[in-house]
Amino acid sequence: MTADLFRVLRLWLERSGWLIVGIIVTVISALAGVALLAFAGKLVAASVGGAESAALAAAGVIALLWLRPLILLRPVMRYLERLATHEATFRALADMRVWFFGRLAERLPTGLGLRRAGDLLGRLVADVEALDGLYLRALVPAAASIAVVLAIALILGAADPWLAVLVALPLTAALVLPLLLAPDAARAAEATSRAQGELRAATVEPLTGIEDTLAANGEKRALARVAQEDRALSGAQRALARRAAWGGAAGALLTQIALLAALAWTMLAGQPGMAAGVLAVFLAIAAAEALGLMPRAGAAVAAAAAGARRLFEAADAAEPVPDPAAPSAAPSGHALSLRNVVFSWAPDRPLVFDGLDLGVPEGARIALLGPSGTGKSTLAALLLKFAAPQQGSITLGGVDIATLPASVLRDRIAWLTQDARLFDDSIAANLRLAAPDADDAALWRALDRARIGDVVRALPDGLETQCGEAGARFSGGQARRIALARALLSPAPVLILDEPAAGLDAATELAFMETLDEATAGRSVILILHRLTGVERPSRILRLASGKAIAATG
Amino acid sequence: MASEHKREGAAAAALLAREAKALRGRLYGPVLLGLALALAAVAQALLIARLLAALLGGTQASWADFFGAGALALIMAALGIAQERAQTAAGEEAKASLRARIFARLLAQGPADQRPVGEKSALVVERVEAMEGYFARWMPAAIIAVVAPLLIAGCAALFDPVSGLILLVAGLMVPVAQAVSGIGAAQASRRQLAALQRLSGRFLDRMRGLPVLVLFNQQRAETQRLAAAAEELRQRTMRVLRVAFISSGAMELIAAAALACLAIRHGAVLTGAHPDPVTAFFVVLLVPVFFLPLRSFAAAYHEQLGARGAAADLAPLLEQPEETGLLLEEVPPKVTITFQDVRLAYDPSRPPALDGLSFRVLAGETLLLTGASGAGKTSALRILMGFARPNAGRVAINGRDAMLLKPSELRRLSSYVGQRAHLFRATLRENIRLARPDADDAAVLAAAEAAQVMDFAKDLPQGLDTLIGEGGFGLSGGQAQRVALARAFLRDTPLVLLDEPTAHLDPGTEASVLDALRRLCVGRTAIIATHAKAARSYFGQRLEIADGRAQDSRLAGND
Repeated sequence: MTADLFRVLRLWLERSGWLIVGIIVTVISALAGVALLAFAGKLVAASVGGAESAALAAAGVIALLWLRPLILLRPVMRYLERLATHEATFRALADMRVWFFGRLAERLPTGLGLRRAGDLLGRLVADVEALDGLYLRALVPAAASIAVVLAIALILGAADPWLAVLVALPLTAALVLPLLLAPDAARAAEATSRAQGELRAATVEPLTGIEDTLAANGEKRALARVAQEDRALSGAQRALARRAAWGGAAGALLTQIALLAALAWTMLAGQPGMAAGVLAVFLAIAAAEALGLMPRAGAAVAAAAAGARRLFEAADAAEPVPDPAAPSAAPSGHALSLRNVVFSWAPDRPLVFDGLDLGVPEGARIALLGPSGTGKSTLAALLLKFAAPQQGSITLGGVDIATLPASVLRDRIAWLTQDARLFDDSIAANLRLAAPDADDAALWRALDRARIGDVVRALPDGLETQCGEAGARFSGGQARRIALARALLSPAPVLILDEPAAGLDAATELAFMETLDEATAGRSVILILHRLTGVERPSRILRLASGKAIAATG
Repeated sequence: MASEHKREGAAAAALLAREAKALRGRLYGPVLLGLALALAAVAQALLIARLLAALLGGTQASWADFFGAGALALIMAALGIAQERAQTAAGEEAKASLRARIFARLLAQGPADQRPVGEKSALVVERVEAMEGYFARWMPAAIIAVVAPLLIAGCAALFDPVSGLILLVAGLMVPVAQAVSGIGAAQASRRQLAALQRLSGRFLDRMRGLPVLVLFNQQRAETQRLAAAAEELRQRTMRVLRVAFISSGAMELIAAAALACLAIRHGAVLTGAHPDPVTAFFVVLLVPVFFLPLRSFAAAYHEQLGARGAAADLAPLLEQPEETGLLLEEVPPKVTITFQDVRLAYDPSRPPALDGLSFRVLAGETLLLTGASGAGKTSALRILMGFARPNAGRVAINGRDAMLLKPSELRRLSSYVGQRAHLFRATLRENIRLARPDADDAAVLAAAEAAQVMDFAKDLPQGLDTLIGEGGFGLSGGQAQRVALARAFLRDTPLVLLDEPTAHLDPGTEASVLDALRRLCVGRTAIIATHAKAARSYFGQRLEIADGRAQDSRLAGND
């Protein structure tokens, strides 16, 4: 638990300026509160000792005049304190969300795998949010409380050490209590964030496959699942709230004990201890404000730790293919060569490649055939370092790709995958993923080459038309062709096109294949196809079978 | 714009009032406990005042008072715990009921609601969560904040009427300060939730397409864009909080002013000239007790504004009329489908998807819909699934207007495999069984065999119990397609609607799937949208569609 929280703090180092300022302002504000009541206490106590003394009474009046601006200063201090601490927190949280996404992008390049998108969203939203408790409800009040307890102990210690112990002891207990409550609260907090992730997954999944959910008349089942996760979440939240309530009650009780202890001491000490006793009563009242919230910090720390755990759990997925520590220089050429490659996705899965040899010289046009499941997409994944072969070597321009950073390969090779996705953004923004600096003319050229330019031209918003999630505003074939245009737009010297003509009718498919040469002039192209139409003019035709590439004739 | 806000505000208020009414009985507990807490605090303040007065007056303080104050401290701790519990229960009930209704509406709207899934889930999760404060804390706090300060000021007035008056005036200033500082807070809170919704939508969308971003080396750039969305959320959050801080600052200022007034009034206690020191200490100690319910009120006030914002976003969804339509008495064994001059436009600024489509498929026949992509093949199937409603024309099943049926009833007639069939994160078996949850293992296996799923599943270590990821992770495109088709085999309905069933299949698999589909279609009415030339040799009837119209005027089934 603590390791996760320290790691969060390390990630927040960049914001340490803000965070420290927040704590300083809070401590000053809390000490001002103590000073205020210490003054008041001294005033009242002074009146006891020398009520007859005119000089002291005058001092009392002067002190009261001093006090008044302080009274009005307090709310202003509190406002500044809240502003500073929250500003610091939310800056840190925004950073955290960005870090999380960047980390996922690094660790899950091949997609979510068996993870649930809805659950990851829950981590980004709710678990990051829970981290605010670490600073706002634990570190900040702890700093203020420690300062207050120390100040009280020092002020009272000067008057009478035993009185100081008597008052400071319950206050210190209130400080330590959260540490004792935290482990138990941690379990409740973990259950809460897990339940929240489950609820979100229960919501996101049926809505993502909405057509299939409805087609199966699955509404009732989806509703029942959400209701069940809602109940689970409520139960977990209730358990956590109960612990927070117990903590809150304990905190209130401990500060009351400090107050009552001061009273009892005064009652027992009689007249000689009167001044110190009354001062102690006022200081105990001052401590209530700062320390009353401390025991709730236990629940807050627990929630933050649970959130942190879930974040790191997702963010620490092993990198499928880590970049080499000392990468080779990027080669100038882009000829690809695979030698004796052996690969399977998992030890218990059958081998996809078993001694695959394949060369793709610069400018080659290779047609790769074979039934589905023979590893055509796996080949592309290996070339782009989404996976690494168990044996054998792959070279780009003569350099082993194991010694190259993945970004070099992704700059050199563009891959139109079978499930290439469009994002919920404009057509232009989707296309520019491949070439961020491309001008509109280049976008139109790519769209025309993918045989979709005319359709886009007919849209009222043209390139600015929003695509919808996964290109939902277009028909399947149209979305596919926009994705193809994106791949063609890429300046990469090697293109891997997986079924580029899917979604085209027969006549358009022929026309597309005939002009593919022109669209890809000077680049190497690997065409992954189910069948040849006869117009591709490949330089080589290969068929993948039993883990090897075999020369074929269409 | 202003009237739009007013209308939304009214809808939100109506929604909250409706929910609150249902919860009225739940309120007594928290309110009574809150009032008891206030009274206990008053009693304790009195006891401590007596102790202090006695101590400072040089008389013997009573130990009975001391232990009384200690006992009250215990009682207050217990009451506090009980009150928090009672509040949580009221909030839970409200949330569960709202969440179920919102989610049901989102399902009913189906694919017609094109907001990103992340945004929709934010409605179901965050927005409903934001409503909790209204029921759990605002409603009891609003009642307690009226009654408790009156009670406390009354107690003070019993000892010193002027002090009572000072407290009362201060108390009256609190709601004024709240209202003034809260101007625009509801709007700010809505903007905050909207920013969160946008961030959720963007994150989910980009997460799903992460491989595409990585392939184009764009993950860094996308991270920057996501940072902008996260920054927007931060700014909106701070704007909401600033308002909340100003209002709690105002509250503290009022409390400080009240304290100062009382200190001046009872300053004589310092010179020992005060006629009644107990009263002096009592009213001063009452200040924090007096402001405690008002503080909870102020905190809840902002939760309430947030809830109003959330309600305004939820209300339109809840206001929509519930799906209506006729129910099927039973699923007819045979269906004939007729489209007559059907028109459908998704977006008035774009050309219509269907522009006078007419055809007929007789019971037991299979019709292939062919044509360029975007010609309207999918739209025709979507109408039969109730995902889209025609703007004009007539769609009939067995001669009766199909659009009179409730959409979910319409779907009971069909087995549908869409172009982007979704596989859920579950085992292959569960994914197939989705189509008919009560099917036994033998039926699932038969469907998997028929759709050639067993072809690859038999090589997997766990067979049909292999877990696959969202969107079919772990399967190739062609394999995922076959799993989706297996659902149609299992579902067993009189109407079969397939959209590009053999996309992503290699010729060998395509042939065996088409073979199986031909068997599936025997005795059923089927409409298959496809490009594949191979399909033409398997199924007889064919209708070419272009620009939303049938190219050949003949009605299938008429020749």
